[in-house]
Amino acid sequence: MIDPGRIEQKTDEELAREARAGSRRSFEELALRYKRRLFAYFRPRLGSDQDAEDLVQETFLKLYRNIHNYDPAHRFSTWLYTSANRLAISSYRRKRTTAGRLGAEFAGDMENLAVQAAGETRSTGLWDAAGTLGGNQYRVLWLRYGEDLSIEEIAASIGKSRLAVRLLLHRARTNLMKRVGPAPGRAEAERETAAVGETPLG
Amino acid sequence: MFCNLTRWLISRAEDRGKEMPRFAERHAARCEACREYALFAASLSSRLSGETPAFLAKSPDSPLDPAAWAAEGAGRGTGAPFRRRFVLHPFPTAAVVLVVAASALVLFLVVRREPALTSAEKLAVIASLKSVVAAPAEFSLAVAEVGSPLAKERQILERSVVSAVEYLQTRLNIRIERKETPKSL
Repeated sequence: MIDPGRIEQKTDEELAREARAGSRRSFEELALRYKRRLFAYFRPRLGSDQDAEDLVQETFLKLYRNIHNYDPAHRFSTWLYTSANRLAISSYRRKRTTAGRLGAEFAGDMENLAVQAAGETRSTGLWDAAGTLGGNQYRVLWLRYGEDLSIEEIAASIGKSRLAVRLLLHRARTNLMKRVGPAPGRAEAERETAAVGETPLG
Repeated sequence: MFCNLTRWLISRAEDRGKEMPRFAERHAARCEACREYALFAASLSSRLSGETPAFLAKSPDSPLDPAAWAAEGAGRGTGAPFRRRFVLHPFPTAAVVLVVAASALVLFLVVRREPALTSAEKLAVIASLKSVVAAPAEFSLAVAEVGSPLAKERQILERSVVSAVEYLQTRLNIRIERKETPKSL
């Protein structure tokens, strides 16, 4: 029997092990922890809240179906995002087939997002600006900084090489800086760097 | 060109959690754009991590669908231990099946069983065996008649020597005599 008071203190991996052993309560806790994260992960590429919510539900259903395949040697988040990516790819493919019908509407959404990003990034934040980057760039940014996954784990999750992940991250940083401008408070840091640059080694 | 390379090195150092190479440091100290990029890349981790809770709070809190999981759970065995799935790859499997089938065919054709003998056939076989067994008496006589190969060799050699001596005597008009009797072999 799982103690409801302690379940929130458990790590994802402990909960996943319990879910694998048949505990639905543990799986629900995992789903509660990750549903917003998954939504944030899917939303920019899919372009609509409804599609993103559907994909989140679909992902948890798939995870619940395959929880016995979870290997506790790996982080739960890596396993979750690997499954999520596979589902997302299928979903994008389906979406592409209906793109002819929904093309105008989708393009309008994306245009609104871009305008919003260009004009309001400073007020809405970095993640909103990151959402307007290409799908892969946003994904690796999210996995790296939102989920704190290592390069190897990201590569495993999205099915790319480590070099490809590093390249995507580099492009994401470059493009994000173009959109939001340099880091705030850079004047002070700039002065420090300039002082370092004046040393004989510089 | 140096700017692109420097920014790539800055990104790589950020991903690996190591310090920037000297070259990139020196270039960043001279180039304002690269310096900005270095600061941006270094601050990105804390900025994005700091913004994550607020960003997630803006996401809709859509209800989950545990009923679907329950329906799914009825169909699956709960608590099944993790084990790797045994997958049969089609080409190796087909090759193994073919080899096994061919081997079975060869065995069937080569080591096929003969039909059982009747009693008359058995008697005939025994009689022929007896005739074979009776042969050794004549056979041992034949063997006894065969001379020693070494003695034959010696005879041939002696004949050759005698012939050579006769030839030399005729050609050189001399006489060759044997001094002592040959030793027996």
